[in-house]
Amino acid sequence: MGEPVTVAKLIDTSTCIGCKACEAACQEWNDHGFRISDFDGTYQTRPDLSHDFWNLIRFNELDVDGGMAWHMAKYQCMHCVDPGCLRACPSPGAIVVRENGTVDFEDEHCIGCGYCMTGCPFDVPRRHPESKKVYKCTLCSDRTAVGLEPACVKACPTSCLTFGRREDLLAEAESRAQTLREDGFERAGVYNPEGVGGTNVFYVLARADRPEDYGLPRDPRIHWALRFWQGPVKWLGGLLLLGTAIGAFFHYLRYGPKESGHAVENAVEPAVEPAQD
Amino acid sequence: MPSRTLSSRPSSRRRIERYSFYERSVHWLAALTFVYSALTGLALFSPKLLWIASVFGGGEVLRGWHPWGGVLFSVALALMFLKWARQMRIDADDRKWLRGAHRYARHDDEGLPPSGKFNGGQKLLFWLQVLATLVLLSSGVVLWFPEATGQGLRLAAIVLHSSTAVLSMSLIVLHVYMGTAAVPGSFEAMTRGEVSEEWAREHHAKWSREVSGS
Repeated sequence: MGEPVTVAKLIDTSTCIGCKACEAACQEWNDHGFRISDFDGTYQTRPDLSHDFWNLIRFNELDVDGGMAWHMAKYQCMHCVDPGCLRACPSPGAIVVRENGTVDFEDEHCIGCGYCMTGCPFDVPRRHPESKKVYKCTLCSDRTAVGLEPACVKACPTSCLTFGRREDLLAEAESRAQTLREDGFERAGVYNPEGVGGTNVFYVLARADRPEDYGLPRDPRIHWALRFWQGPVKWLGGLLLLGTAIGAFFHYLRYGPKESGHAVENAVEPAVEPAQD
Repeated sequence: MPSRTLSSRPSSRRRIERYSFYERSVHWLAALTFVYSALTGLALFSPKLLWIASVFGGGEVLRGWHPWGGVLFSVALALMFLKWARQMRIDADDRKWLRGAHRYARHDDEGLPPSGKFNGGQKLLFWLQVLATLVLLSSGVVLWFPEATGQGLRLAAIVLHSSTAVLSMSLIVLHVYMGTAAVPGSFEAMTRGEVSEEWAREHHAKWSREVSGS
């Protein structure tokens, strides 16, 4: 037992061969089944993630030295240390951070509002079209809980994907980036964005100076509007609402109702009739 | 403005019709849908408030119905707008009244200009609610269909929707207080539709002169 261990997944894009074994393994393990994909003229399985497709290899096509190059990158939940989805979620228990750092959605508590889609800096959660409940990669929490690695890692034939302790994997990522730099990829580096407190899924990129080429945001962070909403709007709003109610109550105690005053008293004996015509 | 004396009351005091059946129906449709939207909205406002959802069939049910509550409220408010917009115009007297609203709050009404069917405060509330509803409806639609809208737009909507809602709810808390405990006679005006002549003279002198034709 002892201290809980934070687990992580390393994606070394320099060794991805685009075999899509991780996609198949993800579909199979999570019982999502397979369907004919939308063909959009690329090698990519589908244009986008969906509620039942959590792991997409993006075949980013780039012009490099007059030729075409692929910057293949796995697109999935980043399992942020500071998850924007959780900050946005109004339903207690619908989004949980497990002891090992995994950010997990619990669909029995999900009410389907889609706020997590607004809070996520990586645009990952997707709603089920009917139930409106939101789904994404669970980092195979049902496997990792019993000591297995995630299905995608298990299926990866090139050790592009590695699973383990976060600190160990970060060191491994740094050393792989170092090797790449020594091999002539001068701008190789690790993508573990600080704006979301770091992530438990991180990348080795041959061009760490251009994360956009891999479909990754340059500087993802919890948006200030989300912080503003989560903080001041909520407590100031609550204060204003309560304050108004309490204010009204004390107004009543201090000033009482606005009586129609003498006009009413006079009216008991209607001495003054309004002039007719 | 037609004046009508309702003689069904045993009292010798003359009653004046203040709100027609239609006006009252629209008002209470707005009230009901506002309360529903406000409470279900509060439930969605914070994880600390989701317990409210249990009264409305749970979080999922509420998530599905809250937008419809808002749409119905907007319809009710639009009807109110059509009925009252002209009478709600803020004139010079109303502006003077509003500047002296602190005196009105202390029941020190001497020197405040006489009000028409609606006083400056009621008119201000009306226009603020119209404005708030425009913001709430447009931002609400954005949040209703997250797949169809961009993330930046949704972030703006989430901030606008909740802050406007809280402001609007605070105004309605005041409105409910004014319409019940604070001004006796006004609740009956909105339920039975009538007020006494004295009440009309006291609170809405200009209107009272108009309807009594004197």
